[in-house]
Amino acid sequence: MTALLSTQPDAVISELELLLMTTDKVEQNAAAAAADDKRRLFEEQALPYMDQLFGAAMRMTRNPSDAADLVQETFVKAFQAFEQFQQGTNLKAWLYRIQTNTFINIYRKNQRNPYQGTIDELEDWQLGGAESITQSVSTRSAEAEAIDHLPDSAVKDALQSIPEDFRFAVYFADVEGFSYQEIADIMKTPVGTVMSRLHRGRRMLRELLADYARDRTPGMSASSRSKK
Amino acid sequence: MTDCGCEKAKAELEEYLDRELNEADFQDVSDHLDNCDSCTSEHLVALALKLKVKQACRETAPEELRSAILSKLADA
Repeated sequence: MTALLSTQPDAVISELELLLMTTDKVEQNAAAAAADDKRRLFEEQALPYMDQLFGAAMRMTRNPSDAADLVQETFVKAFQAFEQFQQGTNLKAWLYRIQTNTFINIYRKNQRNPYQGTIDELEDWQLGGAESITQSVSTRSAEAEAIDHLPDSAVKDALQSIPEDFRFAVYFADVEGFSYQEIADIMKTPVGTVMSRLHRGRRMLRELLADYARDRTPGMSASSRSKK
Repeated sequence: MTDCGCEKAKAELEEYLDRELNEADFQDVSDHLDNCDSCTSEHLVALALKLKVKQACRETAPEELRSAILSKLADA
């Protein structure tokens, strides 16, 4: 090397440059490969949740085109933040948290809901709802059977018509099977609030669906609601 | 076998439904349901509703969504 240096300094410098360039390229290639790995891992782990996230997005935005946009946005954000996701923790809940945040940031601004923010404080009687304690066993059996036979569209319509926070809590618990703690993390509320939203949401749903079934089944009038 | 009674069962029925009770409480409510038609029928309505919501909300994303996402990720 010393001999080379003394005799052909120019050649050494250009070789050095070449070496540096190659190292640069190697690093670039390594970075590209790492990015590819990240993308592949993300696609492999996160994309299987697409249908589920789309289902939730449908209940959030209420229409397929906004739902598709929301899911796309969710995946882009999740991909950008994927380094922050801890492998081995709950990816599904993490994705739902991002989607719920994204929905609230983008879509809730455009919605007008005078009850938002105060709805958790409303008393039960202000929200209405079935008081089931006084129902008889046979009435409840009929109600369970009626629920079984409801068309999906009636259930979705009813869900769509209850306030957003209640709807999300019910959806996350019943459709996605998230635990109260997971829902609390996704919705950024205490577990107690999740329980109360779930309870009220289900009661409203039950009331709406009982009304629906009653309208469809003339013989059932008055029997499925005992106390108002 | 410990029957916790209707009051406790009714109060915990929803957590029972959602599998949020600890083992002892779960067993208590479970034992009570074995003996109480009224609470059982209430539980069955709640269960029917839970299952119905799950079933009704099943969705499949549109075909083109997957490719749209993949191309967005390629640009990201």
